[in-house]
This record gives sequence, structure tokens and C-alpha cells, in this order.
Amino acid sequence: MPAPVPFNPQDVVDAKYKKRKTRSGVVTKRTICQSCDIACSVVTEAKKGRVVKVRSSDNPIFKDNICMKGIIAPKGFANPNRITHPLKRVGERGSGKWERVSWEDAFADIGVRLKAIIDEHGPEAWAVSTSQWNTATDHGLGRRIMNHIGSPNWTSGVALCAGNTAAINRYTYGWFPIGDFQNTKCIVLMGHNPRRHSWTPMYTWIKQAQARGAKLIVTDPRRSSSAERADIWLPLKVGSDTAMMLGWLKVIIDEELYDKDFVRDWTIGFDELKERVDEYPLERVAKLTGCESSMIAKAARMYATEGPSIIPWTPITDMQRNSTSGIRLQSILRAICGYVDVPGGEHLQGFNPDIVNESTIEMHHVLSNEQKAKQLGADKHPAFTYRGQERFREPTKRVWGQEYANLIMGCHMTPPSSLFRAMAGEGPYPVKAFFFLGNNPMMSYANMKLIIEAMMKQDLIVTHEQFMTPSAQLADYILPADSWLERPWLMDSFGWTSTIRTSEKSMEPPGECRSTFEFWKLLAGALDRSEIVPWETIEDFYSYRLEKLGMTWDEFVNTTDVHFAPPEFRKYRKTGFATPSGKVELKSLALEELGFDPLPYFREDPPIDPNFPLLLFTGVREDGFFQTGHRHIEEMRKRHPEPLLFVSPETAELYRISEDEWVEVENELAKISIKVAIKETMPNGLIRIPHGWWKPEMKQGVGHLSGALKYADAQLCRDDEDYLDLEQGIPHLKGVPCRINKLSSRTAEVRADIKESIV
Amino acid sequence: MNPKEREIWRLERSTKFLVWMASKSSKNKTWLDKLCRLLVTKVTAVHPDDDFLRDPLIDEDKGFDPDELDRFQRGEQ
Repeated sequence: MPAPVPFNPQDVVDAKYKKRKTRSGVVTKRTICQSCDIACSVVTEAKKGRVVKVRSSDNPIFKDNICMKGIIAPKGFANPNRITHPLKRVGERGSGKWERVSWEDAFADIGVRLKAIIDEHGPEAWAVSTSQWNTATDHGLGRRIMNHIGSPNWTSGVALCAGNTAAINRYTYGWFPIGDFQNTKCIVLMGHNPRRHSWTPMYTWIKQAQARGAKLIVTDPRRSSSAERADIWLPLKVGSDTAMMLGWLKVIIDEELYDKDFVRDWTIGFDELKERVDEYPLERVAKLTGCESSMIAKAARMYATEGPSIIPWTPITDMQRNSTSGIRLQSILRAICGYVDVPGGEHLQGFNPDIVNESTIEMHHVLSNEQKAKQLGADKHPAFTYRGQERFREPTKRVWGQEYANLIMGCHMTPPSSLFRAMAGEGPYPVKAFFFLGNNPMMSYANMKLIIEAMMKQDLIVTHEQFMTPSAQLADYILPADSWLERPWLMDSFGWTSTIRTSEKSMEPPGECRSTFEFWKLLAGALDRSEIVPWETIEDFYSYRLEKLGMTWDEFVNTTDVHFAPPEFRKYRKTGFATPSGKVELKSLALEELGFDPLPYFREDPPIDPNFPLLLFTGVREDGFFQTGHRHIEEMRKRHPEPLLFVSPETAELYRISEDEWVEVENELAKISIKVAIKETMPNGLIRIPHGWWKPEMKQGVGHLSGALKYADAQLCRDDEDYLDLEQGIPHLKGVPCRINKLSSRTAEVRADIKESIV
Repeated sequence: MNPKEREIWRLERSTKFLVWMASKSSKNKTWLDKLCRLLVTKVTAVHPDDDFLRDPLIDEDKGFDPDELDRFQRGEQ
């Protein structure tokens, strides 16, 4: 069982620094943890056919990349409430009445019903939402089937977390780079806060870089643990990251701190960029961000002169009104300072040439232009849809060898809000079948109320899941999913980097749990299109992907922890960049052609409604949980028994709320219940709402949804146009107006006082 | 080659070498692989006093008992 919490340093020394002995009866496997999306290489230990321990890898380059979510996995997946047999809804949708069926019977019925929907409404009436780290053996097979059947309506949580960053990075230099933490001299964390038990490898790399002298700049409204050990901390106003970067550019350009040779030879639009940046003198940026001009300038100088510097991917700019401009500004800063594709900077790696990549498996070329044009949301918010990414086909072929590069699955998506509006009957055509795999869509996107309404209007909902999530409770079929302990995995870093890793299967799945590979294979058969997924087993499929190496999956996994492509730098000198112009586009030709501002800009908040004077931010991970998962694990719940509202002492005083008090947080859309935690590290006027709260032990079904209707942050997340990024259509989660309601008869009195104090 | 170019050139070569070494070390089959593993292990070793990844929850984890997990899964406890 997990160790007790009291800390005895000598025990730690004894446990960690002695060579591990092979224990009798223990079978070890080299695996990749998928308890979150970071994918740490770990080792499983099995006894009697069951994984009993997850520990750190023996490979020194992966050593210690493990967290509490990883070590608890054997118990988490052995939970008695795990769904281990296919379930078919027999009562009204959301009534909680199910009957057990076989996989074969389930897919026979699913096939008939999906074909009927496609016959009546067209293939675009079928939509899919998934999160690929949970459903690791997908490998693009879902897209492949959809592309053959004719539906462009695929979305994912990556629409507002990394996938959209990848798609938007292409507008500047044609690919999504990865920071070289090992050689960098300066790291910029934009609101991101990697910790020992969250983003563990990134935390490790940052600490190692700092230990060898690298600088750390943190921009974050909170005094986070990363902020506390930073060389410069800029406590900016929530959601003002884009304005901050415009300020940095103003300093860097005015003081000529950029790489003049690179800008001259490899960029277009510098003069136009300079004109735009001139609209943001430091006094204005200081006002927009709430930071001192001198500190903004100091940080900009540090970034530009201490380099090579990196701005690692951050979810913060993925979830803002100015997301596209924010991500573009990160790309532009990297480029004009000369940090793109150099050691210590940001490396454009491309696909690993030794395997068949997932973008190839997806076969986007078979989806007709007519069907691509029907992708929901592509008219108003095209940036990561087929329409938006079309301009990169030819340049990507020229530089990276193939037309379609679906980096982090984010480059051909349907904007989620457009999809759910169509499902709810507010779109250009009906969507009547919704599949979600390893994904709790109701709680993963903005406007939960709309998503519930959308799901209730479906003719067919199918999910592939491990537990009875609030979303699964509204399904017609729940197919039981395997876990990362129970399947092999060929991990290609989601197309982001060229590194390939392997994960051995450690144990058999319980009951009738099956992989996503098997799910899609059965669906292809049920649609009379077995030829789309011709491989008999996942291992056969992997062997096909590895043919260029001349190895079968078994041979590869038995000999390989990690397979690197030899690194190359400054490849653009031979091929140019994978952009329409072949250069780094400071002014984006593709955005201009789509009818958007080709230069980055800052869109300010709408005027404050005095009824909702506070701002909230959500999307935050707690160490014991990943997204909406892990709530069923007793040990994790003991660490996080209730959802906690983080609030500053002054704001708490203003609202007359105290530690551990239950309150409501309310805005125009909804109100949720939450417990107060007063934090000195929070700024006044801003509150933190944790992401993804529900309680599996609470009542299931419509009207309850296991506490999701009481606690889930997605209810407060707006998706009206003021709160959507223009180019991508993703929601603004970093600064949503709200108020705190004290749960007492004095609520109205307190509210009146607060209004008065704001006036 | 100006000093900046020379520095990039040096870092490119050292990065390529380190990736080659990490690759060999990860295979850990031939004598050369094992030599690389030894070197990588030595280079990445951290003195306990400087080890920021020390964490009692992880380091003292004993894992689970398979029979106990089995009973748990069947809802017997």
C-alpha cells in the first residue's frame, strides 16, 4: 500500500539510492504512464498477473519522472465501480437504467443506427470528441474512419489545450517547436506552474536548468511556487498575457535587441509588426497588465539578451480571448530573437521518418473538399479547422514531406462550441450522433448547460469509458475501456517531437474491457467498411507502422525504450519554413486571407458588469487529479476532499467569507458550490476555481449527474462571442466575471455593500 | 564563422552527441551501450542533499498486495 505521509529522510535515502533488487515472483515491464498527458516512462511490477506497483524508470534519462497519480494507478484501475462490461441504455436518456450486452451485439445495433443517421442527415451528422492520451491506441484511427465515412466533425480537449497552440504556431513558422531545456539559458513560464506532482518532467528540467544558471521569468497573477523561485515575476492582470508580450516586443524592437540577420533573411512583415507594436508603449502596457513599466522592460531585456531562451508551451494562452494573438506573439518573440531551431532555443523537429506517423494513418486526403467545407465553425472561427490549415498543405509537403501534419491532433478540428450549438439544433445542419472516447465532454468545454442540452437531443450517443462519468450517464451505449496498464503503446509524442517511445502491456484488462483500437475496428466492421482498419491486432498495426525499421512490434518493444531521430538544427536554411512565404511570417498571409488581422493585437475585456465584479480563472489542475478524472480514488480524494475556491485575504474580507466556508460562485450562466480557501498568494479581485469537479458517489442521471451540476466549473465558462477567441472560437477561461454569494440571509446585504465599494 | 555561429555550431554538435549517447544508453545491450549507460547514469546522478525530486510519497511507496487489490476490485472491502 502507499507509504504513510510522515517524512523520515533516512527512509528516503535508503529507498531511493540503493540499487533495486529483482524480487521473486515479480514481473517488470517498461511502460509509459498515461494517468495524465505528460506520458512519463515508468516501470510496472506485476504479481499474480496483476500490476501491484508503478515505479520510476530504470533508464537514467527518465529517472524520477513519476508522481502520485502514477503510483496509485494499480488501485485506481482496480476500483470496483470500474465499468467492465458493455452497457446499453434501456430507460429514458439519463435515467440510469442499463442492461448488459456483448460488444458484438452493441456494435451491430450501433452500426445500424449510425448508418440510418448518415442516410438521413449526411455523414457530417456524426461527431466525435476524444482525448487521445486516455485512448492511447486510437493513433488517428477515429479520424481515419470519419474521413472515409465523410464526417469532418471531430473535436477534442486539445482544442483549448496544446492542440490549438500547435495549429497556431504553424501560422508563424509552419510547425510547433519544443523548447530545448537542456541547453537554454532563460525560461519564460506564462502562468504555468509545473510542480513535483504535476508536469513532473517539466518541473525537473526547469529546476535542472536553474541549477546550472539559467534565468527564470514567470508571468502569473498568482504568486505561484514557480513565481517564488523566479528571477523576475510579473504579477500581471489575469488574461493580459498578450498585452505583456506586445510590451516586450516594443522594448526588444526599440532597443534593437532582436537578431537583425535572422529578421532580415528569414522573416516577412517586420515593418508592419513594428508599426503595430508602436501602438503599445510601455505606459499603455503597464496599464493593461497592471505591472510596472520598468519590470516589463527588464523582463523583455532578459529574454532577448540572456538567450538562447525558451517560452515552453503553456495552457494559459490556449484559453483566452486573445489566444491566437498570444500564441502568435510567443512564436514571434522566439523568431525575432533568433531562438527558432537552434540549440537552447525552440527546436522544429518534424516527424520521425522511421515510422508511419498518425497524420498519415488519419488519411485526411480521402475526405472530400465538399465535406471538409461543411466542418462546423469553419466559417466564423477557422484557425484550426481544415479551412484554416489548408494554406499549409503545400509548404508542409515541401518542408516536412507530407501535406497533412496533424500536430497534437489539433490541426483539423471542429471548434467545440460550434459543434455543441449544432448538436443543440442551433447550427447550419443537424448533428444527431455523438461518440466520445476517454473524454468527459460535458465538463471539458465551455457552457456545460448547452452541452447537456446538445447531448439530450442526440439520436445516438456512444462512449468508450472506464467509469460512469457525468457524460457517460447520458449515453446510449457505454463500452468498457482498457487502461494504460492493460495495453501496449507506440508513443510518437503526438506528432510534436520526433521521439518515439514504447510501452509494454503489463496485465490483462478486467472483464470485457477493450482498447480503442478494438473499438474502432469493430465500428469499421459495423459500418461495412472493415478494410479501413485491416489489422487484426494492435500489435499487427504497430508492426505495420514500424516496417521501415524492419522490425516487428515485439522486436521493437523488447529492445527499445526510446527511439530518437538524429537531431538537425536550422533546417530552414535548406528548405525554408513551412509557411506560404517560406519565411517566418510576422505578418501572417494565411490569417489575412481568412479575413483576420494578420498581426497580433490585444482585445480588451468587455465593460465590467457591477453585478459580477470579481474575475475567476479556471482550467487549473490539482496534483491528485487529471482533468475530470481520478475523483473515484480514495487516496486522491483525501488530498482534495472538496473543490476549493482560492481567494485573497482582502477579497475574502470584502465578501465576509472565511476559511472552509461553503459559498456559491455565480455568473450569468450558472452558480456552483465551493469551499473557501484563503490564500496570501492570490491577488485581490481574482478567484481560482479548480477544474473538473464531480463526485462519483453522488446520485447519477439527469438532474444530478454525480454532483457535476453542483460543482463543475464548466457551468461558469462562457462561450458567447465576447468570450471566444475570434480566430479559433475557443473560450476565455482566464478572467470570467462572477461574484461570490455568501450562503446566508445576509447575502443581499453583503452584495449591496460590495457594489457600493466598487462604485 | 562569427562567435555566435561558432557557439551554435558547438552546441549543435554536443546536442547530437548527447542524443546519440542517450539512445545507446537506453538500448543497454552491447558493451558500448552499457558504457554509455554507465556514463549517463554517472552524469545524471544527484547527491541526496541536492535532490529536489525526493518525495516521501513516491520514495517510500511499497505498492499493493495482489490479493488485496483483487478483493478490492470484487467489492469485498
